Amino acid sequence: MNWPLAWRLARRELRGGLAGFRVLILCLALGVAAIAAVGLLRSAIQGGLADQGAVLLGGDAQMNFTYRFASDAEKAWMADHAVEVSEIVDFRSLAVAGEDRALTQVKAVDDAWPLVGAVGLEEGNLAQAFAPQGGLPGGVMDKILADRLGLKVGDTFKLGTQTFRLGAVLLKEPDSATAGFGLGPRTLVRTADLAQSGLIVPGTLYEADYRLLLPAGADLDALQAEAEVAFRDKGMVWTDKRNAARGVEKFVDRLGSFLILIGLAGLAVGGVGVASAVRAFMAARVGTIATLKVLGAEGALVLRVYLLQITVICLVGVVLGLALGAGGLQLGAPLLAALMPFPVAFGLYFAPLLQAAYYGMVSGLLFALWPLAQAVRQRVTSLYRGTDERVWPKPAHLAGIAALLALFVGGAVWFSGSASLALGTLGGVFAALVVLAVAGFGVKRLARAAARLGLVNGRPALRWALAAMGGPRSEVQAVVLSLGLGLSVLAVVGQIDANFRAAIARDLPAKAPSFFFIDIQDAQLDPFASLMAGNPAVTQVQTAPMLRGILTQINGRNARDVVGDHWVVTGDRGVTFSDNLPAGTTVTEGEWWPKDYTGPAQISFAATEAEEMNLKLGDQLTVNILGRDVAATLTSFRKVDFSSAGMGFIMVINSAAVAGAPHSSIATVYAAPEAEAEILRQASDTFPNITAIAMKEAIARAAEALSAIATATVLAAGAVLVTGLVVLVGGAAAGVPARMREAAILRVLGASRARVLASFALRSALMGAAAGGVAMGAGALGGWATLRLVMDLPYKFEAWSALSVVLGGMLATLAAGVVFAWGPLSARPAAVLRQAE
Amino acid sequence: MLELQDVHLRLNGNAGPVDILRGISLSVTSGESLALVGPSGSGKSSLLMVMAGLERATGGRVGALGQDLTQMDEDALARFRRGNMGVVFQSFHLIPTLTALENVAVPLEIAGEADAFGRARVELGRVGLGSRAGHYPSQLSGGEQQRVALARASVSRPKLLLADEPTGNLDTANGAAIMDLLFDLRDAHGATLVMVTHAAELAARCDRVLKLADGLLA
Repeated sequence: MNWPLAWRLARRELRGGLAGFRVLILCLALGVAAIAAVGLLRSAIQGGLADQGAVLLGGDAQMNFTYRFASDAEKAWMADHAVEVSEIVDFRSLAVAGEDRALTQVKAVDDAWPLVGAVGLEEGNLAQAFAPQGGLPGGVMDKILADRLGLKVGDTFKLGTQTFRLGAVLLKEPDSATAGFGLGPRTLVRTADLAQSGLIVPGTLYEADYRLLLPAGADLDALQAEAEVAFRDKGMVWTDKRNAARGVEKFVDRLGSFLILIGLAGLAVGGVGVASAVRAFMAARVGTIATLKVLGAEGALVLRVYLLQITVICLVGVVLGLALGAGGLQLGAPLLAALMPFPVAFGLYFAPLLQAAYYGMVSGLLFALWPLAQAVRQRVTSLYRGTDERVWPKPAHLAGIAALLALFVGGAVWFSGSASLALGTLGGVFAALVVLAVAGFGVKRLARAAARLGLVNGRPALRWALAAMGGPRSEVQAVVLSLGLGLSVLAVVGQIDANFRAAIARDLPAKAPSFFFIDIQDAQLDPFASLMAGNPAVTQVQTAPMLRGILTQINGRNARDVVGDHWVVTGDRGVTFSDNLPAGTTVTEGEWWPKDYTGPAQISFAATEAEEMNLKLGDQLTVNILGRDVAATLTSFRKVDFSSAGMGFIMVINSAAVAGAPHSSIATVYAAPEAEAEILRQASDTFPNITAIAMKEAIARAAEALSAIATATVLAAGAVLVTGLVVLVGGAAAGVPARMREAAILRVLGASRARVLASFALRSALMGAAAGGVAMGAGALGGWATLRLVMDLPYKFEAWSALSVVLGGMLATLAAGVVFAWGPLSARPAAVLRQAE
Repeated sequence: MLELQDVHLRLNGNAGPVDILRGISLSVTSGESLALVGPSGSGKSSLLMVMAGLERATGGRVGALGQDLTQMDEDALARFRRGNMGVVFQSFHLIPTLTALENVAVPLEIAGEADAFGRARVELGRVGLGSRAGHYPSQLSGGEQQRVALARASVSRPKLLLADEPTGNLDTANGAAIMDLLFDLRDAHGATLVMVTHAAELAARCDRVLKLADGLLA
């Protein structure tokens, strides 16, 4: 009924302007801007990856083999179907220049590389860089690596036993985004030039990629199906330009979804601000509402009048947020494009903008409807009297709130594409808000009790602060809610980060090896062991034969169909073989095979992973090793500690089952840190083909990769926190009249301005400390749960990180409180009290 | 007790400066009760605010208890009010976040009294609200709130009680009860009372009545 009349009345009221809605508009705009920016960036990355698929992949399609080159049959298939083929070998090695050594990810290429895209060199072209000079073949190095080794173009370096001349410095590798996580910077050489290096021999750990240029109009689906039917069981992995950077795409997609969900947390915090802004707005309109009711307006009409106004205000906030998000991203585009290792197609994508607008409108109305529905239900007399009557909204309005909530949650599930991620995050946010509300209530009661303690007698400023926190119209709950969520996320990240760093800096060196040595040939095992044994700084050496294998089938069924995306089956894993139970290994269930066992193949599996995958003794597992299927019976489970970064194999097979498989060995060497440089020099001088991976460097690279995720999370938490601060500032601004009156009364009663200021400042600081304290508790709980339950790492409460969160909360509220205390303190009491009359 | 000489008050409103008080001179002796009456806008309340040091006179001299209020800064005025003045407003002006007892204790706390709450409790009992000590202002009726305000004004035994239309927001019965209480407290403590009122019968209870019109004593 009567929407036109409601709109006419609403429009008249809106003529007063948007001054009272700054907080509401800002809260919504910030949340919408964060979600829009993340969504647009995700679309830009996906757009870039889709446009440049062939360049990123280095061809229309790729066939990948682990630790082997393609067989003749596989090469023949490629020749039949492709216009051109390029072979690439990728492996880790040590680049040695004089006394300096550095781990590098070597990419050995043929003349056809790159099939698509161009290599960026500091000077000249690839052919010139590779061209031999003075009998030495040329190589190209990443600038970081060349600088680390102190190399200039023309200088020499060695890979294995082969000496190369640095032909050029690498600036851009066209197909680097598909290479995945590498432990060292890139070196490019021709495969043919490695013939005498001793690096690529049977058993060496390398990947062989075959890039295919296909005829125009080739049916990628059909080709993929054909290749997979023929070669997948031999360990071939197919990729094509449609999903060139599948890993990057998936990562960006998941991270984007996660960040958007954190953005939703920002909107939830902003919702606290929206609700209080609407409550304040309605409080200022009580006279009008009462008069409308006296004149015969029903509650429904009144609700519509104000619902329409709030909708218009929300729209303003949403549009401002979209402009902020899109504009901000556009401003940062050049910087972001330079930072990303893959092409990014920035632009105004409709879908993410629509998504952000949807979230903004639904959350704005969701949080506004409750106070709105409460206000229109109040009786006229209580409206005129100005009594703060808290009534329940009508059932119809409650149904409307429930519907909006369903739209909000449903939208999150739909847009994120992952019900578990969306429901998990929103459930977490909801639980956090409930916990914060309860904690806020607890703090309020605590403050109330503290205000009555004899301890605060004689300290009126403190007592008034505590009384205000514990009394009616207390701001404690609003402060804890608005700041608590952002601070909690920061506290959790802080606890995890600090524990992680502590684990790396303090715990890991004590139990982790100094080096992993890979590619040790059988004939080198004894001399290597002797060399290490001859060094008194070496405390322990462990070696094991190393194969890589893909677990393809469990009891005759495709392994992925049985255990889904468990990390053990998503790629090739380390496999070793042994006759005897390796020293220090504990069998938790089943029996180890007898010495010199030659019967049907048996396999031993890591106990924790087996339990996660629901494997049982007696299961039949098929592991593809170097293109050959090994079917084995699961006969034992072992305890494997991956957290020590030592040698740990998911699968151990009895020796006879893989006899004759080309393999190399790996070794872990434990030594005093000060002796590490000498061990590296000795080992690489004596065995040029053996690659040493220094654990410190490997951990540093892994930590770098993790810190990027932590930074993204902190930035998203920052957006939540900024929204919280807006709510806080809005609350402080809304509280100015009350404080003004309070300050005036206190001054009438003889309190000095300093004392009034002290009381206000104390109140703010205590509320901030309370929010920080609650966040600290959440941080400790979240940190403990993540480290102990998810990562299986020890947890220790990191006091400095926690303290900084409490301090941050105190400072934020103190700043807002003090800034908004100047007005009340400088106002003349008589003027204030006259106005209140 | 109170000595005003040629007091002027000019306030800046939206429509420009307005002369509220235009040369008021008067003196009030110790123990006296004085009623200020006059039409709305005549400057009664402003005059009371000037006497309390809550409004700074733009001209003239305001003396209270031998001190020149016009020479004091804000904090000095606040300190002066402690123990010397009690003020009662038409709108009560209780602190909403404090209970009745806490509201009454505030002036004693500010003055550093050791037994602030004990004395506040006695005073609250004196105005008949001993059983409502833990109630917040929002849980009290208008008459009760004004009784709390009276207790707060008198708890520190001020020499000067200033009341700005103390019954203006109350019904006749409550208003009469408050006035009885005000005079009782004033008599009990021997304070000087200056009261702004519209009600002739209340003014008649005072020793002296002064009428204001257009910022001047009539």
